[in-house]
Amino acid sequence: MLMEKPVYVDEKLREVLSSGRLEYRSKALPTWCPGCGYFAIVEGVTAALNDMKIPMDQAVVLSGIGCSSRFPFFVNTYGFHTLHGRVLPVATGTKVANESLMVIAVGGDGDGFAIGGGHLSHAAKRNVDITYLLFDNGVYGLTKGQTSPLSAQGFKTTTSPYENPDQPLNPLMMMLSYGASWVGQAYAGRPDHLKEMIAQAIAHRGFSYLHILSPCVTFDKTNKTYVNLGMIVRDLPPNHDPTHRMVAMAQAEQADAPALGLFYQESRPTLGDNLNSLIAKAGGDASAKPDRRKGE
Amino acid sequence: MAARSSRRRAETTPESPPGVEINGEQRDGAPSGEKGMSGADIQIAICGSAGDGTIAAGDILRNAVAEAGYKVISFDVYPPEIRGFGKCISRLRITTDQAYSLKERSDVLLSLDDSHTIPHVGEVRDFGAVICEAKPVGHLAEGEHLSAHILPGQIPYSLPIRELSEKATGGNRSRNIVALGYVAGLCDLPKAPFLRIIESKFKKQGPKVIANNAAGFGAGYEAGCQTFKLDDVHFAPPARALQPGAKVTILNGNHAVARGCLDARLTTFFGYPITPATTIMERLATELPRHGGRLLQTEDEISAIAAVIGAGYAGSRSATSTSGPGLALMGEMLGLGTIAEVPAVVFVSQRGGPSTGMPTKTEQSDLNAALYGSHGDSQRIVIAPTNVEGCYRCAGKAFEMAERYQTPVIVLLDLYLSNRYETVELSASGPPFELDANVHAKRLKPGEVYQRYVLTDDWVSPRAIPGDPGCMHVITGLEHNALGRPNDSEEMHELMSRKRHEKLQGALRHPDFTHVKRFGDAGKVEVGILAWGSTFGECLEAMIMARAEGIRCSAMKVVMLSPLPEAEIRAFLDDCGAVLVPELNYEGQFAQLVQGRLARPVTRLTRVPGGPMPVAAILAEIRRLAGRC
Ligand SMILES: Cc1ncc(C[n+]2csc(CCOP(=O)(O)OP(=O)(O)O)c2C)c(N)n1
Ligand code: SF4
Repeated sequence: MLMEKPVYVDEKLREVLSSGRLEYRSKALPTWCPGCGYFAIVEGVTAALNDMKIPMDQAVVLSGIGCSSRFPFFVNTYGFHTLHGRVLPVATGTKVANESLMVIAVGGDGDGFAIGGGHLSHAAKRNVDITYLLFDNGVYGLTKGQTSPLSAQGFKTTTSPYENPDQPLNPLMMMLSYGASWVGQAYAGRPDHLKEMIAQAIAHRGFSYLHILSPCVTFDKTNKTYVNLGMIVRDLPPNHDPTHRMVAMAQAEQADAPALGLFYQESRPTLGDNLNSLIAKAGGDASAKPDRRKGE
Repeated sequence: MAARSSRRRAETTPESPPGVEINGEQRDGAPSGEKGMSGADIQIAICGSAGDGTIAAGDILRNAVAEAGYKVISFDVYPPEIRGFGKCISRLRITTDQAYSLKERSDVLLSLDDSHTIPHVGEVRDFGAVICEAKPVGHLAEGEHLSAHILPGQIPYSLPIRELSEKATGGNRSRNIVALGYVAGLCDLPKAPFLRIIESKFKKQGPKVIANNAAGFGAGYEAGCQTFKLDDVHFAPPARALQPGAKVTILNGNHAVARGCLDARLTTFFGYPITPATTIMERLATELPRHGGRLLQTEDEISAIAAVIGAGYAGSRSATSTSGPGLALMGEMLGLGTIAEVPAVVFVSQRGGPSTGMPTKTEQSDLNAALYGSHGDSQRIVIAPTNVEGCYRCAGKAFEMAERYQTPVIVLLDLYLSNRYETVELSASGPPFELDANVHAKRLKPGEVYQRYVLTDDWVSPRAIPGDPGCMHVITGLEHNALGRPNDSEEMHELMSRKRHEKLQGALRHPDFTHVKRFGDAGKVEVGILAWGSTFGECLEAMIMARAEGIRCSAMKVVMLSPLPEAEIRAFLDDCGAVLVPELNYEGQFAQLVQGRLARPVTRLTRVPGGPMPVAAILAEIRRLAGRC
């Protein structure tokens, strides 16, 4: 077996510096706790945008509320830090208003699956052409450690001090059955794979859902920790066929051994395509620009 | 009796007293102040059971008389149930000059179903006409025929409606059209506009249906012309000349809103159905794609306003429409719109509340929710049109204001205004709205950083939108500094709260918009009426009657409710011996607003009948306040 090439800090720093991806980082320092998995995600997003050469002023990153939702402040694109649970409908409005923008929505597991749960199915079935990055730490970080709908049963938190009586949702099975046209999973502890998955999710035309397992080092010492996740995550089988929803469902069902990779992908018309065809049916001009400016 | 006849005189006496007005005209080219009610003024009520074609007859009538050059105001009452044989009434007031409300008493009542019409016979005035079927099918017990209920002084006309319909068309499906023809003949209305409207209305059903209905109408019309008229039910020659090039249309409030949106180049609309706002969305669902725009029915009102905010952020002219329950769900997102300074327009058509309340009845009880319904200091703009043309203008102006002051704007209507029809004169010179009020950022110098919330003289910061080169920034619901970076220091929250407050004051001087307007007697008056929204029409009618009785009286409508034009209202109150504030809610929400802001006594007139404010109730209060009772 070949030895892996060692990584030296100065070489890595030089590589990052020369890659150009720092241009995609904003001047603001992240406010997250040292060790939080979210740092890896901001690295992944900036690296993916840089690799894909997406112009910063054509990209919009929107978020809900939570530690995770501070994300837009740390990337150098257009951004909108909205309300708890509402990032998907706001992002839908932005995309409908201007199809040419590259739209990324981010948020925590509480944001997406508790307060915002009602919007998931609709964004997915509409196939609005945005990328949704869900940061799953299995706990409410910003409000200091309460139970989330993705918390493990038995997990002790400030709002379930004896233990969490609920069983967690299975987010991947939900998104698959809602009709998301791209569903994948990544782990903050595998940054290179994470970056790859983010790039793929962005490249997909339609609603892409990337579930990112990301430890909260401050409020979860027992469940989704680096140590625990590191032991249970696995790759999808090499022969996994991402065109079969039921096969993807079977993989998603194994929540105890989260698989990383692309679960499912299909190509179908986006919300934008469908709205454009309505305009054509009505005899309107879909290319009529939303921009009403008279110029500088 | 005496009171009634004097009121009738007040309704029809020609008068054009000098009006007082503030902040210019609302209607292009209209004479100042209220217009005198000279010429024709007749109110026709058609009453029947669902399925009799009551509302359809009313619709043909209002379109035909509008085409003949009359002004119309009309309001239909539907049964709350979707199926069955509930009562339908279509009431139309047809005048030479635009009237402000329906009259309490109709001049003509047409019955298409006696059992439903009998309780309404009392609304016909003395010497008014009551028209019913002469040859009802089958046996009617005593008291089941309308003729047994006609009051002394009312004039009965009976007509073999069914027989005429069968003779003319070979069936009885055109009963409503035959009866309509009879009314038109009886009232000396020209026949041609009716035939044109019938043709366009039945175009889709083919030439046979058109021919049948035209024949039915003709048969009824002939019968009407031949009827000996005891009564004074007839029309004076109509019509003031239109402004050159102007076009008259019949619109209800919601259709006027939709038209205003399209003329203001709305590009996206997100909504969730709710009575009485749904028809705004339905009309736009058809029209917006024709204009290249996009409409999406969302999963709820939270999503609707969220998408509007998201689209507004991206530079789209975007709107949603709802009623009180939906407005309650939108509260949090409106607060985000305020602090993040994103334009958004929300049309709210009020209905009886709270909760599901009286969903098919009108009320003005969401004023507080519109003004304050959110969290924190969520200053916003709230405007409320008082008539159908106002709905059109407020709709278009709402987009200008949302963009110019970068904030959510709520346009408050109610069921009565949403559903009532009026003749509207649309100007020939194109839509009177500014199509771009975005207040844009200048191109940046190299090395310059764009500051989304930079402080300026008018407190409005130049806006950049996603896609603009080099202006990347983050907007947020967190308190922030000029760059949009989170900052919750004491000084910053004071400063930014002030910014959001001060920038809205500009809306008090927004160009080409009627913020408030005074009608009636100038100078000192015994009684002043201060009112908002759809109720203002009834207030004007009451004021005209009071003045005809010799009471010095004027009325001010307040279209802009937030920010409140305090100086103009104060000046008006200074002129008034007593101030009456009529509104359709129980606790007097507008009166509370005025008293809270101006610390002046006012007399409340609050009613929650589910229908328009009775003109008689306003008049009685005016008399009482003027010491004339
Ligand atoms: C309407 C509303 N309810 C509650 C909150 C309080 N709140 C803010 S963030 C949050 C949960 C955050 O958890 P999660 O979405 O999982 O994100 P994380 O902080 O873990 O990244 C809650 C409950 C709020 N901001 N708004
Ligand atoms: S509280 Fe948890 S989720 Fe929030 S920044 Fe700290 S480690 Fe990350």
